[in-house]
Amino acid sequence: MVTFSQWLRSNSERHLLEHAQAEMARRYLDRPGPVTERGLGPLFWRRVFVPVYRRLPWGLRRAVIQALPGSHRRRWQGGRPIRRPPAVR
Amino acid sequence: MPPRIVVVGGGAAGIGAAGSARQADPQATVTVYTEYEDAAYSPCGIPYVHGREIPDFERLFLQEKAAYREAGIDIHYETPVTGLDLGQRTVEVHGEGRVPFDRLVVATGFDYADPGVPGKDLGGLYYVKNIRKAMEWDEVLDSAKVAVVVDASPLGLEMVTALAQRGIETHLVDPHPWPLAEVADPDIVQPVEASWAELGVQLHLNTKVEAFLGDVAVRAVRTSKGELPADLAVVCTHKRPDTTLARRAGIELGSTGGIVVDERMATSAPGVFAAGDCVELPHGVSNVPVQGLSGSHAYAQGKVAGANAAGRERAYRPVYVPWGMVAGKWMIGGASFGETLATALGVPFVLGVAEGISRARYYPGVKKVRVKLLAEPDELRLIGAQMVGQEGIKERADFLAMAIRTGVTLEDLAWMENVYSPPIGALNEPIALAAQNGLASAGR
Repeated sequence: MVTFSQWLRSNSERHLLEHAQAEMARRYLDRPGPVTERGLGPLFWRRVFVPVYRRLPWGLRRAVIQALPGSHRRRWQGGRPIRRPPAVR
Repeated sequence: MPPRIVVVGGGAAGIGAAGSARQADPQATVTVYTEYEDAAYSPCGIPYVHGREIPDFERLFLQEKAAYREAGIDIHYETPVTGLDLGQRTVEVHGEGRVPFDRLVVATGFDYADPGVPGKDLGGLYYVKNIRKAMEWDEVLDSAKVAVVVDASPLGLEMVTALAQRGIETHLVDPHPWPLAEVADPDIVQPVEASWAELGVQLHLNTKVEAFLGDVAVRAVRTSKGELPADLAVVCTHKRPDTTLARRAGIELGSTGGIVVDERMATSAPGVFAAGDCVELPHGVSNVPVQGLSGSHAYAQGKVAGANAAGRERAYRPVYVPWGMVAGKWMIGGASFGETLATALGVPFVLGVAEGISRARYYPGVKKVRVKLLAEPDELRLIGAQMVGQEGIKERADFLAMAIRTGVTLEDLAWMENVYSPPIGALNEPIALAAQNGLASAGR
């Protein structure tokens, strides 16, 4: 059984990636974008979700992504870059 | 009483966990259950045996079975675990009944995503995973004339190259505009396409598989652009985490479908750890959970999980995913994001691209190396990289992953020190050239 967060992740990831692939294919290869699924559901993701997501500021997008359940919400250290002083002074 | 540690799964994560647990606590009893006939071999090597670059499958095994017995690891082969009872602290083992544990490591790996088209149960569909099956398939390849590879995933790219090198007419069918489009950027993969064309590979991009056709075994693949005859089809769809046991036991799963773990590889259930392709981990730059990484990730996670199961305190880190592979005559690789993935996520970035060389310009065998760096626009800290060349890609990918982890900036890389020795390194390091171009495009 697919949970809501899995459904959201899988659909958003897929359609955002397809949009980016279409943009990159045009820019670098002069080729059409990927084959997309037909139907009302995919149309919603392509025509509504993707444009709305892309208009949001990165900070807000990030906050939404972080709010989803997953391993990133558990205890993890060392996720941020560490710049240490020289080992011998 | 020494702890009883049970490991479910005999792949890289499971064997890593078992070895590490015994090392951390030599008194612990460590039992591994695997549904397969073998444990601890390198499935990643299978395409290269098919391509005749590795002479036999035996070389893919890490150790003889006796070596595990001598190391105090009790591996039960062809013994699937059918259930976990976390309340009673037992696992239900086929043919053995309920087996108690004090600590459990779940390393159940992955399954290929269902291709979701008619004919998916026909014979002649090859899912590259089990080494015994691969040995049987290798004999099939001796007489195969035409093969269709479904999906240009990393495994798909390796199999295309292997089959073409084997002299088999090879078709690659993929719905994206370029191969490996979910990982690599188009400018990085473009040389691979040209090299495959030299090998006779036929690419069917922007094309969907609609059905596998045949009565008992596949004889053709129907695609959105026509029918392709096939003696076999190699299905290289996404790797999905195999979390059936964990899910049924009520262990928390994340948005990728993988098991949720913390830095100790501990799951939501006390005393239960997980590692490898069945878990999800935070990406070090975006903090977005990712899943389905490499065998080296799985093995390292297994070692952390096993040590903690035996009572140690070890921590794994968020991942920056260095990757690399050979496709056609090219090596491609990178770390963290590419331009496509960063664009999809909407991560702001500055780009630095350069084409350098792998050795001194006058040294025989010198190759071009294209490097693309992505940096965040404020401090210009590196957030991703991709490369294509014919040598030195893996080492650069490892270095760049560590550079991203430690917060290195384009400024740092632009004026980095580099090895200059004519047979192995050029005067100008391609990474430094890309960083200098990145600084220029950022107006710094």
